[in-house]
This record gives sequence, structure tokens and C-alpha cells, in this order.
Amino acid sequence: MIALILKRILLAIPVLLVVASLTFVLVRIVPGGPFDADKNLPPEIIANLNAKYHLDKPVPEQYFLYLGRLAQGDLGVSYKYVNRTVNDILSDAFPVSLQLGTISLSLAVFIGVPLGAIAAVCRGRKEDVIAMFLSTLGISVPGFVIGATLIFVFAIELRALPVGLWESPWHVVLPAVTLAFSPAAYLARLTRASVLEIVEKDWVRTARSKGLSQWSTVTKHILRNSLIPVVTVLGPLTAIVITGSFVVEYIYAIPGMGRFFITAVMNRDYDLILGTTLVFAVLLIVANTFVDVAYQILDPRMRIED
Amino acid sequence: MQTLDSSKPIAIKALDQSVVARLKRIPTAYFAFWVIAAICLVALLSWMGFSLCPYSYDQTSTDFLAGPSSQHLMGTDELGRDLLSRIVYGARLSIAIGLTTAAVAFGIGTLYGAISGYFGGKVDTLLMRGVDIAYSLPDLLVMILIGVLLGRGTLGILIALGLVSWMGTARLVRAQFLQLKNEEFIEAARAQGQSGLNIVFKHLLPNAMGPIIVALTFTVPSAILSESTLSFIGLGLSPPACSWGTLASDGWRSLRAHPHLIFFPSLFIFMTVLSFNFLGDGLRDALDPRTRLGKKV
Amino acid sequence: MTKSSDAKSDDRYLIWRLAKGLGQGFLALLVLVSILSLMACTKVRSRFEPGVLRVNLGTEPPGLDWHTATDSTSFDVVSNLMVGLTQYTNDLTCAPSCAKTWEVLDDGKRYIFHLRDDLRWTDGKPVTAYDFEYAWKRLLNPTTAAQYAFFLYDVVNARDYNIGKLKNADLLGIKALDSLTFEVRLSKPAAYFIYLTAFCVSFPMRKDVVERFGDRWTEPANLVTNGPFKLKHWQHEYKMELSANPQYFDGPPKVKLVKMFMVPEASTAFALYENDELDFIDNRSFSTPDVERFRSSPEYQNYPLLRANYLAFNVSKKPFTDPLVRKAIAMAIDRSIFPRILRRGERPATSWIPPALPGYSPDSGLKFDPVQARALLAQAGYPGGKGFPKAELLYPNRDDVRLTVEATQDELKRNLGIDIELVNQEWKVYLATVRKDAPPMFRNSWGADYPDPETFMNLFTKDCGNNDTKWWSPKYDQLIQSAEGELNTKKRADLYRQADVMLCREAVPIVPTFLATQNIMVKPWVKGIAINPLDLQFFKAVEVGGP
Repeated sequence: MIALILKRILLAIPVLLVVASLTFVLVRIVPGGPFDADKNLPPEIIANLNAKYHLDKPVPEQYFLYLGRLAQGDLGVSYKYVNRTVNDILSDAFPVSLQLGTISLSLAVFIGVPLGAIAAVCRGRKEDVIAMFLSTLGISVPGFVIGATLIFVFAIELRALPVGLWESPWHVVLPAVTLAFSPAAYLARLTRASVLEIVEKDWVRTARSKGLSQWSTVTKHILRNSLIPVVTVLGPLTAIVITGSFVVEYIYAIPGMGRFFITAVMNRDYDLILGTTLVFAVLLIVANTFVDVAYQILDPRMRIED
Repeated sequence: MQTLDSSKPIAIKALDQSVVARLKRIPTAYFAFWVIAAICLVALLSWMGFSLCPYSYDQTSTDFLAGPSSQHLMGTDELGRDLLSRIVYGARLSIAIGLTTAAVAFGIGTLYGAISGYFGGKVDTLLMRGVDIAYSLPDLLVMILIGVLLGRGTLGILIALGLVSWMGTARLVRAQFLQLKNEEFIEAARAQGQSGLNIVFKHLLPNAMGPIIVALTFTVPSAILSESTLSFIGLGLSPPACSWGTLASDGWRSLRAHPHLIFFPSLFIFMTVLSFNFLGDGLRDALDPRTRLGKKV
Repeated sequence: MTKSSDAKSDDRYLIWRLAKGLGQGFLALLVLVSILSLMACTKVRSRFEPGVLRVNLGTEPPGLDWHTATDSTSFDVVSNLMVGLTQYTNDLTCAPSCAKTWEVLDDGKRYIFHLRDDLRWTDGKPVTAYDFEYAWKRLLNPTTAAQYAFFLYDVVNARDYNIGKLKNADLLGIKALDSLTFEVRLSKPAAYFIYLTAFCVSFPMRKDVVERFGDRWTEPANLVTNGPFKLKHWQHEYKMELSANPQYFDGPPKVKLVKMFMVPEASTAFALYENDELDFIDNRSFSTPDVERFRSSPEYQNYPLLRANYLAFNVSKKPFTDPLVRKAIAMAIDRSIFPRILRRGERPATSWIPPALPGYSPDSGLKFDPVQARALLAQAGYPGGKGFPKAELLYPNRDDVRLTVEATQDELKRNLGIDIELVNQEWKVYLATVRKDAPPMFRNSWGADYPDPETFMNLFTKDCGNNDTKWWSPKYDQLIQSAEGELNTKKRADLYRQADVMLCREAVPIVPTFLATQNIMVKPWVKGIAINPLDLQFFKAVEVGGP
């Protein structure tokens, strides 16, 4: 297991390098540049701007300059947020998204997984149908509609919770619930499917015939094994949720990182795009490594590496 | 080893039976199948040029933002266009998106995940790093690039959405395979000298179907909704054409002032997804050799 | 078999219990939390804080350095932190500010500003003419890479210095004669020049502060300003707090604190206003449906803006090479559709110069006349729209813009029988496309930088970088150049009027559509909010007190 983690850390370096290089190329071949604005600039001024940010150099040279800075942990500067470094921006925004994301993710897991398990056990009965409706609602209604509805009901009509902003712990509630909707729905459906799958497996019967106690059958085999798909999707889901959601942060005016995934692309803010992408990639790699480790704990027979 | 004896004949028998025949025995799934068929039919007919509504999707009137009435069953939008006609028109793209992304996610995702999970080891490590990379690249940038390369049009939309939708399925299939291939019945099949393909398609895949189908039904609404993002970045439809995704994203700000603008498009997405869920559920049972149909347990 | 199935239902029961237990526990926790939250919220919340104004900026100002700032959000903040040589009154004349008087010499080619002697920066040091000299030279310095440097291109040698052709800053026509006298020499007379001295990019700047803190000189701890407010706190992408500057020469402002939140989504900002979490909101905080719901509220007000929307042609692309076609289109669009679908009190426009500015005449442009429009189209060889190619109309994707181009498309179809294809692009791609190779038609808008027709008319001269229509005429350029140097206001207005007629009635490279408005809502406990057509918001006269 330690070997697996170490190996993944080593492998992360080439993976991140590929991600950085591909994104670097992507941002430069997509049309539109960071200094296109609604008021057209004299070419001399564009030249001044490009020189300031080394964008006048040949692309390969820009690439190696970028990698050099990256190696020192410097993610570069933002062109849009004048005078702010990408490191500054991300270190302000990431903790906010992390906080919100952690709460949402636990909401999603603690609601979604039990809901799915109940639905599986009560298969075909009303609990199952209700769970099906709820989870379909969760995945088919767009986030902005869920957000707007929650604001309308809980903030404007009931006046129970704040509309938006990021001031007190109460301000976390609505965004966290909005963000949890879709993952909770997904986890519920997935748990239901895999619990059904496992309950009917032969080895469960075998285990029972071997005379294991009911409790250990349930916990050790059924739950453990049915958690494999849940754990699988939790990997990318964690990375996605804790790096923030554009929709939720946008609707509730939360100063998190999710907004930069879209706005940085819209502004062609090259270094910021690369910075957010790399942060996401790091988290994804870490989360997926944990997933693979978790597989081996849940089911020691699963061999991940040779 | 008695388990092994009992599982094999059932598996083979299951695949001999017609899936549709088995589906018929699950009423919710069968009903859902017809709902989807009806929506597809409407989409197809309107695409072929049959007018199914009293209004055309781009016919304006001075009846701005009217609520539902006998004239306009679902009301009108900011330019006085009939919402029902627009939803019927929008079905063609949204349904096409739902079906193709589900197919791409199933095709590429399952194949990729199956290879990775079946072979394991170095192949798995390499392929999964590929998924990590594909996951990490900014979707929006990839979509803008495809828009630039292919120009606007349905093909570009379908490719762009397909490209960003298969990774989740791949990881799920791989995890299922990694786990299942250690099961006794797989080892037995291998001991019997069955070919790798046989093992994958007859034993591994049917047993991994549950989570795969969930993943696919999840892909459908998220693709339908992401299409509105494509319109936003200019790769999507050009107005006055519309889809359920663009109707929903254009209408949500009217939640309080003109709720019909967001309610009806959302309702159609919801109904479609719900039907896909019921159908997916039924399909899983129909495909799964072990499920005893018709009995509630 | 029976045994196994019993066992299985036992398993199911256990899973069920386990899941139910987890779920119930969690639900109980949720209920507890909601009860607590209700209790927390039932305590009487005051609807406002006296002396504190809460507004919405919409987005994060990209930067507060008023040389590199380019957008209205940054300018909204800077206009409350800083004052320049002159300052706008609410009817947009330039009133004395840092300069108590000024002289215009040499037929408008030399300006001498006399500064007040009681001006202080927030750190106590006096504001001098040297601060202006440093600031203007920094704006023009190529290494500053200021996008608005072209604003001072009328100053002697400014352009050459900014593009790097001239290295010596001493040759610029900018000089502090002593600590209270500031001299500017222009290379040609420019009637609008005085307006530039009220604009953010011409504000003074402290050399020692900029050099000491480098790129971080605009952070709250470092920033030194001379206006009614000072920057107290800046939480990026979230809010800014401006506190009253007790040393402001005109007396400290009436509110002690302005909280500027950055709520990007209009409907959220509007909900915040409804919930008494914001005191004043403007266009940035209205989604169109909300405007309609609150039109009858006494808190609602509507003001005209100097922001014009127009449809432009690329006159080098067929069929728009033919002025008859362009005229037909200009006459086929019923502009009254725009206020009906956008619902913000937009004013239909047929001329390029807006009503508030000199040179405006209601008859400069072509009016809606579908019969005449069809006749012109037939004359151009497309009777009833037959044979008219499916031309593209490009627009940037935004809800309100989409509605206007969809309405335009519909008008043209109905009145001329022609089909146009709408193409939307994401903002940056749109800008790049229009610049590089503009499609046959595109939708654009222009906001005035200063209250003078020059800011609008200059746009369609041959050398203007923003003229994407490919249309130009020596006669038009001649008219604009004469108007720029003309110091007699009446003659000047007439020159602009002639140019406007050329633009909107004769050559028609653009079709003006409507003028935008500012919509605001103000809580009853807020007094003294004033809106001007340039959309600059000054909070120094605002009071927040009892309703």
C-alpha cells in the first residue's frame, strides 16, 4: 500500500507535466487573447502589454519560462486581476471552496448512500419510488434552478436563512445544500444499484452457508463490496466538489475557486487557467490514489499494481 | 463450488432470452420505454418537418410573456413565442444529445474501462493516468477548441459533449472489473479455457451492468444541461433555434416573475430522465441473469 | 432455497436498519440545525446600519491602479477614492476640484491649472503639481502598458513617447511649473480636453508610494489617495470597504463606511436588496424580469445613459456594399420593439449622437418606414427579399443582447422578407472575430468616456482602432477633425450634426438602435444618490439614516 502511494506520487509528476503542457498549448491555440477588450487598443499598447507579460517571446520560450517558474512553485501572474499572482488568488479562494465542498460532500454521502441502501432493500415499494423521484429531481434540475428556488423559499419567503454572501456559518447552509443535490442523487442511485447487485451474488450465499453471523455478513461483505462503485465515483467527485462549483459560487456570491474555472477561460487569463487546472489535477490524482488504496482495504483481493 | 455450477447455466439461458420480452414483465420499465419512444417520435416527426403544434417555434406575437392559457398551453416567452412549440422543437437536439452521449459514454467508457480493469497492472496504471489527464483538462477550453475546429452545428455539439462524458464510466467499469475478475466464477470460466473476450462479454460485463446503467442515466441529463453552456460559448445553436438546455438556462431568472418559462422545460427534462431511470433499472434486471423477475423480494 | 431466501431477507432487514439509522440520525441533525438557524434569525434584525451604505459592484475590480484599469467597475471605486484636476457635476459640466482655476492659452493648445493649497493625501502629505506630472508621465510610459494611454495622445509628443519612438519624458508637454501650477501643452486644439481631466486615468499619483510597494501599491495597507473615501479593506472577489476620509478638502462624506459587495448574479443581488442586505442597487443587480415586477415601487428610478447600441455592417461584404441595402435595413427595424422586450425604459434611437449632446437632431437618422424600406430593397435588386443571401449577424452571448438580435431578425423577416442568420460567440472570440474579419453584420454598443459627441463620432473615422465597419470617408474624417479643433460651440455642434447625418442617413455603415438606461432602486433610508449619464457613481453626498 505504501509502495502504491509512493509510486503514484512519482507518477504524478509526468501526469502533471502532461496536463500543464496540453493546457498550455490549448490556451494558446484557442482564438482570443487576454488583452482583447471592448475598446480596441492601439497596436503599440498591445505590444507594451505583451512585453510586460513576456507574451512577445516565441511560444516555446514562453513554455520553458513557464515550466521554470512552475518548478519553483510559482504559478505566474494574472492578466485580468492586475498585480495579483495566481498563487495569491488561489490561496484566497481555495480555502473557501474547500470548506463549502467538504460540507456538501458529507451531506451528499450521508444522505445519498443511506437513501440508496433503503431504496435497494425496499425495492419496488414506495420508499424506492420516492427515492427514485428525489434522485431524478436532483440530477435533472439544473443547479441554478435549485439555488434560485432555495433562495426564494428559505431566504425571501421564510426569511430563515441569508440570501447569499459568505459572512457567518448560516451563510453556508443554502449553498452547501444546493451543491450536494446532484452528488447525493448520483450516490443514491449508485448505492441502490450496487447493493442490489451484491445481495444477489452467489458468494454472499456462500458466506452465509459458511455460517458467518448475519452482522458480519452484512458489514463485511455486502456493504464493503457494494461500496466499491460509490468509492470510485467519490474520487473525481471529491476533486470536483472541493475545487468549487461555478454555479453555486456564482449564485450565492461566494469568493471561492469554482468561479475561476470559467472566468479565467473567458478572460483568456493564461496563467490562471493553468493554475486552476493544475490544482484540480493534483487533487484528482490524490483523490484517485486514495480510491485505489480504499479498494484494497475494502477488497484485499483487488490488485492495483503489479 | 456448488455456486459455480448454478451460476453458469443461468447466465447462458439469460442471454438466450429476448431482452424486450423480459422487459415487458417489468411494468414501470415498459411504461418508461413507451414514454421515451413517444418523445423520440415527436422529436423525429418535428425534425422531418411535420408541424405538431398550432404555432411555429420562431413565430413571434405581441403577446409577450403570457402565462399558460387555452391559446398557449405553456405560455409565451419574451418575444411572444409559444413555449410548447419551442419545447417540441427543442426535443430534437436534447434527445439526440441524450442518446449520443449515453452511447459514447457506454462505448468508449466501457471499452476503455474494460481493457484497463481486465488487464490490470501496468496497462491499468497507464490507462488510468490517461483518464486523470483527460479529466483535468478544462472542459470549456476543449469545447471552445472543438467549436473552432468544426464550426457550429449539431455534429460539433455531439462530439464536444461526448468527449467530456466518458471518463466517469471508464473508471466505474474498471473498478467493477478489477473486483469481479477475482471472483470464483470468473476463475472457473478461465479454468474451463474460455477466451478472454468471452469472459469479458459473457461474465464480467453483465455482472457490472448495474453501476454502468446508473452512470449512463446520469450522463443523459448532465449532457442535456451542458449543451446550454455550449450555446453560451457560441458552439451551440444559433437563435431562434432552441433546445431544452437553452430554454432552461434562458428561463431560470424568471423563476419568480414568469415561472412557466423555467417550469415546463425543467418538467420535460425531468420526465425524460425519470423514464431513462426506470428503463435503465428494468434493463439491468432484464440483462441480469440472476434477477428473478416478477417477484417482489 | 427457502433457508437461503430467509437469510437474504434478514440481510436486507439489516441493511435497511443500518441505512435507516444513518439517515435518521442525519435528518435529526438537520432538523436541529434548522431549528437553531430559525432561532438565530428570529432575533430582530435591523434593516440598515446608520452611516453604512451597502452596494453591489457586480464583479471584482480587476485592479485599482487607475492607469491600468480599463473597466467601469474599477472606475466606480476609483472615482470615490480619488479626485482629479476637475470633477463632474451631476449635469456633467467640469467643476473645479484639485484645480481651483485654469487658463486656456494659445488658441486652446496650452492649459495652465492652478491647484488648491489645502489638498492632502490620506497620509497627510500635500497634493502637488508634481504628483500630476508624475502620474501623467507614468500613464504614457510604455512600461506601464496602460490601455487608456491614448487618452492623452493630444499632448505634445505623447504618442511618440508611448510607442517608444521617443525616449525622453522631458519632451512631453507635461510640466509642473511649481508645486501648485501644472502646465499641459497640446499638439492641436481639442475642445473636449477639459473633460479628460475629470476622468480617472488623469488623477494624480504618488511616486514614492508606487515605487516603494511596486505591484502591491493598491493594497489597502499601501494605497494613498486624495478623495472623499479611503480604502479600508479588500477581500478579493467578495467585498471592498471604503471608509470616510476626514481630511478630504471638501469636508468628509456623510456616510462613514461604504461596503461594496461583488455579487455577480443579478437575481441574487436583487434578492439581497429585498432582504435589506443591500441599500442601493442598479442595472448590475436587476435581471430583466425583476425590473418589471418592481417598476411601480416608489424605490424604483430610471435614468438615461450615454450608452448607445447599434447594428453595424461590414461594408466590404456583399450585399452590404450597397448603401441602398443598408438604408433599407435601417428603415425596416421598428426600434420601439426594444423597450418592449428589454423592459428597462430604453430609448429608441435613429441617430448616432444621443439627445443630450451637442449636434443631436431628431432628423439626422432614417426613421422606421417599412414601405420605403421594401422599395429601397427592390431598387437594390432584391424585390420582396428575393435573392437576398442569408447574411450572418454576429453577437456576443448575453441574455439581453440575444433578445435584441432575435427581435431584429424577426423585424427584418417581417418587414423585408429577408432571413438573416444569428451567430453568437463568447465575448473574447466575438471581439477577436470582429477585429480580424468582421462578418456582414454585427451588434455592438458604445459607452461614452466623456460627455462630448467626440467620444461617439471619432469611432467611425478611418484611423480609429474601433472602426470595424471598414467604412470611411475623407469628407467624414474632415468634418470630425474640424469639429475637434473648433472652439466655437455652435459651429462645432453643426459640424458634428453634419457628420451624424452622413453616418445615419447617407452612408449608413451603422444602424443605431437604442440608448440604454440606468435602473436603480434605493431604500427609503438612503438619501442623496445621484445618477449621471456617464454612469459614474459618487457616494460622497449620500446619507444613510432614519427612514
